[in-house]
Amino acid sequence: MDHLFDVSLFASTLRLVTPILLAALGGAICARVGLFNVGLEGLILIGAFSAIVGNHFTGDVFASIIFAILCSVLFSMLFGYMSIHLRANVIVVGIALNFLALGLTTFSLRAIFDVKGAYYNKDMVGLPKWDIPVIKDIPWLGDVISGHSPLVYLSILLVIALHLFLFKTVTGFRLLAAGENPTAAKSLGIKVTRIQYGAVLMCGVLCGLAGSQLSLGNVTMFTEGMTSGRGFIALVATMLGQSNPIGVAASSLLFGFMDALSIRLQGFALPTHFTMMLPYVVTIAAMLFFKDKGYMQEARKANESSR
Amino acid sequence: MDKLVSFIRSMVQPLLAVIVGLAAGAIAIAVVGGSVPETYAEMWKGAFGSFYFFTNTLSRATPIILIGLGVALAFRAGFFNLGSEGQMVLGALSAALTAIYLPGPAWLKLIAALIAGIISGGIWSAFAGWLDAKYRMNLLITTLLLNYIATLFAGYIVSYPLKDRTGSAAMAQTMMIDKSVWLPKLFKGMSLHYGFIIAAVCAVLLFLFMRYTVKGYEIRMLGGNPLFASYGGVQRGKMMLLSMFVSGGFAGLAGSIEVLGTQYRYLDGALTTPGYAWSGIMATLLAGSHPLGTAIAAILLAALQTGGMGMERNTEVPLEVSNIIQAVLILFVSAKITYSFIKRRKAARS
Repeated sequence: MDHLFDVSLFASTLRLVTPILLAALGGAICARVGLFNVGLEGLILIGAFSAIVGNHFTGDVFASIIFAILCSVLFSMLFGYMSIHLRANVIVVGIALNFLALGLTTFSLRAIFDVKGAYYNKDMVGLPKWDIPVIKDIPWLGDVISGHSPLVYLSILLVIALHLFLFKTVTGFRLLAAGENPTAAKSLGIKVTRIQYGAVLMCGVLCGLAGSQLSLGNVTMFTEGMTSGRGFIALVATMLGQSNPIGVAASSLLFGFMDALSIRLQGFALPTHFTMMLPYVVTIAAMLFFKDKGYMQEARKANESSR
Repeated sequence: MDKLVSFIRSMVQPLLAVIVGLAAGAIAIAVVGGSVPETYAEMWKGAFGSFYFFTNTLSRATPIILIGLGVALAFRAGFFNLGSEGQMVLGALSAALTAIYLPGPAWLKLIAALIAGIISGGIWSAFAGWLDAKYRMNLLITTLLLNYIATLFAGYIVSYPLKDRTGSAAMAQTMMIDKSVWLPKLFKGMSLHYGFIIAAVCAVLLFLFMRYTVKGYEIRMLGGNPLFASYGGVQRGKMMLLSMFVSGGFAGLAGSIEVLGTQYRYLDGALTTPGYAWSGIMATLLAGSHPLGTAIAAILLAALQTGGMGMERNTEVPLEVSNIIQAVLILFVSAKITYSFIKRRKAARS
C-alpha cells in the first residue's frame, strides 16, 4: 500500500484535476444562470485543439492559450446564441456542439497538419513548470504542490475568485438572481439575457484554459477526442458540487484522485473499473441527500427534462 | 388538403436543416481542396451506390433505429432519456451471456437472449425513472450517470470473471456465441440481418401504439401537458416507470440485436465507440419524436456515416466531414424543437 499512495499519486491528482476543475467551474456558472451546459466536452476539445494550433504557428505558450480561449469563446457564444437568443433546447444544442467540436477538430487535424489520429511536434513548447519558492523545500508537501504548470495554480485561484465573485459582489448576486428567478430578476431591471451571455462567455474562457492544460500541460500533443469524457465528468462535478465553486473544487478533486488512482492501479494490473465507477455512484448517492436548489429547478424547467 | 399543407410544413424544417448541413459539409470539402459534387457523389455511392452498400447502411441503421424509438417514446412522455448507451450495453451483455450460457435448443436461446436484453435495458432505465418518481432526482442527470456505471460494469465483467480465455487475443470480450443462435442474415454475403426487420416492425408498432391506444394517448398527454394529464387521472409515477422501461427496453433490444446479428459476442467498447446511442438521440431529435420519422432519420444518419467511409476510401476528403454535417443538421433542427416548446409553454401558462 505504501507504493500505492505515494507522493506522485497526489501530484498527478493535482495535474489531472485541473482540466476537470476549470471546465466544471464554467459549467457551474452556466448552471447558476439556468443553462445546463452539456457542451463542456466540446468546448474543452476546441480549446485543446486551438491551443496546439496556436502553439504550432506562434511557438509561444501565452499566445496559444489566448488563441485557445478565443476559439472556445467563439463556440460558447454559438451555444449562447442558440440557447438564449433562439431559445433552442440547451441539452440539444450542447449535444450538437459536442459532435461539431469532435468533427471539426478531427477534420482540421487533417486539413491543417495533414495527420490522422494525433499531432505531435517536438518544436512545440509546453506549459512551463513553476516551482513555488518556499513550499518546494517542504519535504512531502513540496513534491505534491510545487512543480506544476501555471494553469494548475490559476485554477485554484479561480475557485476562490469565483466564490468571492458569486457571493460577495453585486454582479455576482445579480447573476444568482438571474438564475434563481428570471422573472423576478427582470422586474428589478436586471438584464437577464446579458448576464446569461456573460456567464456563457466566462464558461468559454474557462473551457479554453481547461483545453490548454489538457493539450499543453502534461503532454504537448493533440489526439482525436482527447477529452475522452472529461467534459461529462466536469458536468457531474458541477452537479455534485451543487454549482458552488468550493463544492465544485472538492468534487473535482475527488474525481481527479479517482482518475489518478485508476492509472496507478493499472500499473499494478488490478481492476480499475470500480475505482472509475465510484465518482458516479457517489454523485448519485449525493443527489439523494442534496435536494435540488431553486436555480436547478429553473434550469430543469427551461430544458423540460423531467417535469 | 389541410393535412397535406401541415405535412409539407412539418417537412420544411428538417429538409432545410439537411440543406444547411450539406452546405456546411460542402464548405469543409472545399477547404481541404476536394471537388464538392464529386465528393458528394462518392458519399452517395458509399451509402446507396450498390446493393451491398445499401444493405450495409441498413444494418448500421438497425441499432440507431431502435435506440431512436426508445428515446422518442420517452421524449413524447416528456422525459429526456440520455441513458440509452448504458441501457444498450447492459442489454447487449445480458443477451450475449444468455446466448452463451443458457442450456436448451437454439431457438429458445435466441428468444431468451432477446428478452433478457430487453428486460435488463428496461430495468436499468426504469431505475432512473424510479429515482425520479420516488426521490425527485433529475432524470437527465441520473440517466447520464448510469451510462458510465453500466459501461464500466460490463467492461469489468468481460475483462475479469467472464473473459474469453479460449482464443489467443487478449481482448476484453466474452466467448463467441454458438453459430446456431446467430440472427440469420437476410441475404447471403451481406451484413444485413433479421434485426432490421425487427427494428422496422417495432417502428410501425410504436407508431400504431402511440396513435391508436389509450396508453399511447396518455403518454402523449403526459408529455404535452403534465397538469392536464394528472387532472385527467394519469398517474405520473406509474406512467414514468412504464415509459422509461419500454424506452430502455428498446435500447436493450438494440444492443442484443447488435450482439446476436453482427458482433456475435460482447466486446468491450464495440457498441460505445461507434456512438450508436448518440446517433439514436439525434435521429429522434431530427424527426421530432415521430416513430416512423425516427426510423427514416436513423437510416439517413447511418447513410451519412457509411457514405463518409466510402468517401474516405475513394477521395482525399476525411471521414469527419459527415460528423460536421450531422452536427450542423442537429443544431438547426433544435430550432424546431424550440418552436414546439414555446407552444407548450404558452399552453402551460394559460
